[in-house]
Amino acid sequence: MKKTMTGVLVLLMAMLSLAACGGNDKPNPTAAPAAPTKTNEVKATEAPSAEPKISGDFEIQYFVGGYGDGWWKEVIGEFSAMYPELNIKESAGSQINEQMKPRWIQGNPPDVVYIDGAGSNETQMVLDDQLMDITEWIKGAKNVDGEPLVDGLIAPPQDYDGKHYTIPLVFGSWGTFYDQKLFTDKGWQVPTDWDSFLAVSEQIKAAGTHPYIHTGKYPYYIVGGLLNSGFVAANGYDPQILKDQEAAKENSFNNDAVRSTLNKLVDMRDKGFFDNASFGMNHTDSQMLFLQHNDAMIPNGLWLENEMSKDVPEGFKFGFIPSVMQEAGGKYVAIPYTSNIAIAKKAKNPEAAKAFIEFIFTKQAAVRWAELTGALMNVKADLESSGASDVVKTAMNYFNGGDTIVAPVFKLSADMEQAENDATIALLQGTITPDEFIDRMEKAAAKERK
Amino acid sequence: MISKLKTSHIWSRRLFIISFLLPTLALFALFTVYPLIQGLYLSFFDWSGGSETMNFIGLDNYRELLADDIIPIALKNDYFLVFWKVILIMLFAVFFAVALTRLKLKEYGFYRIVFFFPNIISVVVIGVMWSFIYNPTLGFLNKFLSLFTSSPVDTNWLGSPKLAIWSLLPPSVWAGIGFYMLLIIASILAIPSTLYEAASIDGASQWRQFTTITMPLVWEQFKTSVIHIVITTLNGSFIIVKLMTEGGPDNQTQVLGYYLYQMGFKQFHLSYGATIGVLILIVSLITTLILHRVLSRETIEM
Repeated sequence: MKKTMTGVLVLLMAMLSLAACGGNDKPNPTAAPAAPTKTNEVKATEAPSAEPKISGDFEIQYFVGGYGDGWWKEVIGEFSAMYPELNIKESAGSQINEQMKPRWIQGNPPDVVYIDGAGSNETQMVLDDQLMDITEWIKGAKNVDGEPLVDGLIAPPQDYDGKHYTIPLVFGSWGTFYDQKLFTDKGWQVPTDWDSFLAVSEQIKAAGTHPYIHTGKYPYYIVGGLLNSGFVAANGYDPQILKDQEAAKENSFNNDAVRSTLNKLVDMRDKGFFDNASFGMNHTDSQMLFLQHNDAMIPNGLWLENEMSKDVPEGFKFGFIPSVMQEAGGKYVAIPYTSNIAIAKKAKNPEAAKAFIEFIFTKQAAVRWAELTGALMNVKADLESSGASDVVKTAMNYFNGGDTIVAPVFKLSADMEQAENDATIALLQGTITPDEFIDRMEKAAAKERK
Repeated sequence: MISKLKTSHIWSRRLFIISFLLPTLALFALFTVYPLIQGLYLSFFDWSGGSETMNFIGLDNYRELLADDIIPIALKNDYFLVFWKVILIMLFAVFFAVALTRLKLKEYGFYRIVFFFPNIISVVVIGVMWSFIYNPTLGFLNKFLSLFTSSPVDTNWLGSPKLAIWSLLPPSVWAGIGFYMLLIIASILAIPSTLYEAASIDGASQWRQFTTITMPLVWEQFKTSVIHIVITTLNGSFIIVKLMTEGGPDNQTQVLGYYLYQMGFKQFHLSYGATIGVLILIVSLITTLILHRVLSRETIEM
């Protein structure tokens, strides 16, 4: 009897604070106040009775970068309204990774961490044994709407020798962006495969525009946006090649798929399709040249439109193709990138951490993410009616269509990534040959295996 | 009685000296010796910089250092910068110092401020500013050079494997001249003007006065400046590299300082970074000692 009384009390309090929360939400111009409040009321009636009591201190660390913190403030506000006994501490900011590092080293981490931004690397955190093994929990976990959590994800949790430590929260894809307005004005055909890509590049070059620019200072853009999809396409559309490279397997670079892809790159180089300005240029400068119609195409990630929103000139339209290196009649290959969320191994309040993750992986949270950040959250949701950007919607259509292979999420070790960055630039500058590229990467992989 | 007085005098004298030495020693130990030993200690471990545990691996980091292909490139680039910075900065600094003091320019005060100006600008601003100047498409340098050529110049200063390291020189030199110029000016002004007057009466040319009066008398200052440039370059070229090239393209502008940062914080081998730090320390020490020998001359008393 007593228990039910407390249950009712908790429920009442939750409802009360929810009402207060709804009031707080209103000043947000893009918020759709009706929808979230409604679903939360439903949740509030179910959750507290079904789960162990969630209370005490709870700390979330999240990096604030291009996506802003609007979404975080919103979901944390709702979460706090649902569990009023929880004392939530937010450790957030653009320098948060550096600021929190001493605490991770001393074994006093926050409960939940969103891994993104400079100075963060989920693979390294797993190696450093700092994240909780969630392999078993994630299998049965359900979000607050009662749906199995894993089923709703676009990209599944990354596999570390059969174990899971992280869940992708942000999902996106690398690809080739093209200047849609320029293409339409000049009557250029949007490339669908390697041959048409070469043909249109020739046309663009003849018209006096640079066909292709990339950021030479950060070569992982061209690796992610051009090379990796080329590897998969040349490997008979089997993305296993990327997972092999991630695992630093022998001959994961010394094979025909990599060699023929590198030769395509050399072909582009020798035909003069790369803007010479690319080398040494940072990403912002290269993107500015693209926006100023100086260059027709650029390898980038889906965040591009959002990142440059302040500098997009009047009438500029972004076009997006997942990949260009496939054969005629072949499939598109989308190379995903993710930013992950994880629970610390030494979390002091793991129950609250799990409850928080169950709380945020919902469809409506995904819609809100798309609306507030212009990017994709890693939950399958219908975005057509939402305020997500056109590029994101186009990309979503590619992912859902049958012509596109979405490669699994993978990430080379920091050492191998650096080696690949260096080798790519050297190859583009003609200081090494494709075989030397492969040689360097096999050496880096061999070192990794030791 | 006398001896007692003497000992108490000696004691108070010692106390006086110790009261100055001890705090300095304590601060020196805390802020210099301790981090130094800590860095050395770290270099014997395998530590990513993020985990709670460290593995002792003895000299393995040093073995890896010897086998690392990038270390020789970084060393070569470090000495490239040292060599050209010493020559160019000292050449300009001495030239301007002599021009401003000996040629009795009216605008002496104005020029002194103008030349010193880069020193009060943050290096970060200098790096970003010169990156803009070098920008191959929008930059000032190529726009300027295009005025003299028939087709537009599109040289990629920071992105070309051959030019990149040379392109780091102008900002570093430009930012360094003013400070060393002031040092030399100060020591030139300390030379009694009677020496120059006597030399003029004897018919010595300006050049002769420079080589036989100015240079010998400012030599101590000159030597200090050279050694200071060497040390700050070996330890500090990190900033300009980080801001302008991040060691690229393909490590062509890699220097030890930036490689330390890259290994320690971007590739998660903090203990290996510490090992590179030890190498920088050794290299700086040896270079400074050699320079002391090479540059030492008999001090000329006025």
